[in-house]
Amino acid sequence: MTVKTLSARKNGTARAGAEAGTEPIPLRYGDDPYVWACWLYYEDHMTQGDIAEIMGISRATVNSYLADARARGIVNISLEPSRLSSLSIAQELKRHFGLHDCLVVPSDDNTRPLIDRLGGAAAQALAKLLKSGDTLAVAWGRTVLAIAEQASVPGLQDVTVVQATGGTAANFAYTPELCASVMAGAVNARLVNITAPAVVSTAEIRDMLLREPLIESQFDALGKANKALFGISSLRPNSTIHTSGFFESVSLQQYLARNAVGVVAGRFIDGQGKPVAGPLDDRIIGISLDMLKAINLRIAVAGGFDKVPAILAALRGGYVNVLITDAATGRGILNADGVTELDQKLSQRPKIDHRAALPSNFRTHIKKFLNDPNDVVEEMLDGVVKAHAGYIRPIKGSHRALVARTGPRPGKVGLVIGGGTGHEPCFLGYVGKGLADAVAVGNIFSSPPPGTIFQCANAASGGQGVLFVYGNYAGDVMNFDMAAEMAAEHNIEVRTVVTTDDIASSPIEDKEGRRGVAGNFFMFKTAGAACDRGLSLDACEAATRKANARTFTMGVALEPCSMPQTRRQNFEIGPDDIEIGMGIHGERGVIRDKMMSADEIADRVMDRIFSEMKAAPGDRVAVLVNSFGATPLMELYILFRRVEQRLSAKDIKIEANWVGHYCTSLDMVGASISVLHLDNELTELLHHPCDTAVLRIG
Amino acid sequence: MSDNAARRLSRMFYRISIAIEAGKDHLSDLDGAIGDADHGITMSLGFMAVNAELAKLNLDNTLPSEVFAVAASAFLDAVGASTGPLYASAFRRAAQALKKDECLSPADQAAIVEAMTTGIKERGKGQRGDKTMLDAWVPATEAAVNARARAAGGPEMWNSILEAAEAGANSTRSMVAARGRAARLGERSLGHMDPGAASAVIILRAMKDTFDEGEREKSGPR
Repeated sequence: MTVKTLSARKNGTARAGAEAGTEPIPLRYGDDPYVWACWLYYEDHMTQGDIAEIMGISRATVNSYLADARARGIVNISLEPSRLSSLSIAQELKRHFGLHDCLVVPSDDNTRPLIDRLGGAAAQALAKLLKSGDTLAVAWGRTVLAIAEQASVPGLQDVTVVQATGGTAANFAYTPELCASVMAGAVNARLVNITAPAVVSTAEIRDMLLREPLIESQFDALGKANKALFGISSLRPNSTIHTSGFFESVSLQQYLARNAVGVVAGRFIDGQGKPVAGPLDDRIIGISLDMLKAINLRIAVAGGFDKVPAILAALRGGYVNVLITDAATGRGILNADGVTELDQKLSQRPKIDHRAALPSNFRTHIKKFLNDPNDVVEEMLDGVVKAHAGYIRPIKGSHRALVARTGPRPGKVGLVIGGGTGHEPCFLGYVGKGLADAVAVGNIFSSPPPGTIFQCANAASGGQGVLFVYGNYAGDVMNFDMAAEMAAEHNIEVRTVVTTDDIASSPIEDKEGRRGVAGNFFMFKTAGAACDRGLSLDACEAATRKANARTFTMGVALEPCSMPQTRRQNFEIGPDDIEIGMGIHGERGVIRDKMMSADEIADRVMDRIFSEMKAAPGDRVAVLVNSFGATPLMELYILFRRVEQRLSAKDIKIEANWVGHYCTSLDMVGASISVLHLDNELTELLHHPCDTAVLRIG
Repeated sequence: MSDNAARRLSRMFYRISIAIEAGKDHLSDLDGAIGDADHGITMSLGFMAVNAELAKLNLDNTLPSEVFAVAASAFLDAVGASTGPLYASAFRRAAQALKKDECLSPADQAAIVEAMTTGIKERGKGQRGDKTMLDAWVPATEAAVNARARAAGGPEMWNSILEAAEAGANSTRSMVAARGRAARLGERSLGHMDPGAASAVIILRAMKDTFDEGEREKSGPR
């Protein structure tokens, strides 16, 4: 601080000398440059550049004056209380119901009707949420029409708007047809109407209509929706549901008698969000609750105190993952669900941030290609499933459990691999014919849960047992063991090979305690080939164990990796330091050393490998030089060059080699070297054909 | 009684979630020192999933044991990792313990802490001194059992539980890890508090606050 002020003064005098016109601090600011800078910025609305000019200091100094002024409490920035409270309510709703997002309109602004304000807020939200290529299912109602009328999202391409329910001849202004067509106009979308009535007289007529090719194609379009927009109606006497005449009142009474509390996209739900059966169910043409739940982004817009039970029910039922409501309703929903902490929180004064300002060129975050950091795994898997559709498909619709398209077959031992994400192309790139039959996918650097692994075992099982192969980490072992217990209950015999190729992770006396890293590649290849050749479960397990015992890996990290959620590096490493013995999770290595040449690094690794691998002249090996993510191929080849020199000097022949990204650690800079000491059996299995997204042999 | 036992537990999980969320970065930093820097994120994800699942329950006719059972599967399905099976086993054990007596008396509260510790121990096959979450949970359980034996009241019991857990977590600084990823660091794990023990203290503090609040409501002026 002192330093900054001093240098600022120096700057000031220097410039004052150069430019005679520079003013001294005007009397009214006392001798305080902070107050002067703040006044010019906040009261006179000048730019930082202009202020620098007037005060005769640099723009960076102005910037730091403004930041320091906030830290010292000279300037207090306060949010208008009603806006602050709506932000807090939105945050609590999001947390409490596990929503994807939530927007709460402040309650104090009573100049416009609530429906208009919700419509305006939702229209703005839509501009953020709707993207080119989307298919948006649009339900009907006053709120939905209010949104459509205020929406305007220019610049989108290939958007389709589908009417979510059949149409109606009813005499009101917000029919399904109108809601969908106004919305399509607002976002410049192709419009698909459902050209059948929303409610027909009998179930037979409904079934006949649904078989009509035209209506069938309209339902196909609806089935492709990835976003949905709908209101939530209560069943109170003055609600839209009653007044619109959309449903006959006799039927309504029957739904009420069965404890229906609300209507979502034309379907009745009870207080817990469960569907309520009733006389109209077989006569409605429109989106079903299951179809709705399968849609990725489900935007509900609803407000008003009478709707609290209905909205709560829709939230409990999981029909909504983006909620747009007003502050009073939002607070009502939280209170109705027993959340009372919020009121105490709202009465507390906001904290003042005392963190010192950082220079503007100081980086606190790593740049990454991200949308919502919380969606990173799901969005990646979305891409993977599309990119590699020829090799893998989701099991029961879940992208966390993927099975090979040509893999599992009766009479063959099934191979299940898996682990956390962040290691791509591990593990999902090794699924396909001749390799793994299924992969279980966890969160970043975290094991998948047992349920997911069990689904994989089930899908991979061909009646001859299932082999689990994964790296040795406490979390993976617990989850895979629980999954093996579940499989046993379903009469699937499971054997497990835990990979332990990282020779730096524990001394040789504790070989079983070592972790599994990039050498997994060889264990997967061996196991996949053994399974594909129709060997018994015993033989598959034995071959994989042999490959594990004869694979030696060591990694070296030059720079840490950064997690997508924090965009910060997950450990610190000095400017001249490297970590030897690095694992694949950004855990610290075992030894920290000074940066050295590529050959010296390769030698350090090869010396360790030779000390454990008892290879005689004439023996054959397979080599994998693997990038941790950010190290380019150029450097990998430099390492490989040295590895080859060291091996040939010992007259050890390289039977096969791979150089590239095979098991990464997000964006870590670094590489690992793996050597598999071959024998005849392992050589045969290594050359056995396989066809997967990242590895093709034969 | 407007505030039934299931509601109290649901609020307890809500408080845990908020407290974990607030400590998320700190926990991840601790983990970055000796693990893979995701402990805060994983714990926050798990408790958020628990909240979302509990929000779907009708708490007016839910038993406390069911709340723990739902929490167990929600937590496990959401995170996997190593904390998934450990805390899922903890909650499942707590659910079993509560089935004998669902009224959430101080003795039941002690039983919850004890059962959770048993679940973690069984699943992780660990023990005190391994530099894990058990270094907080085991002393917390001993304090709970002692308090129950001398028929201490709720607030007194929870004070001793939290004190023991904090002391236990602090003691992990001087331990060398024997389990989990940190185990492979050898002596380099010295000097750092175990993130699992740190989050255990956060959880126990939120439990204490919830049950203390119930106590105040009972004894406070009408």
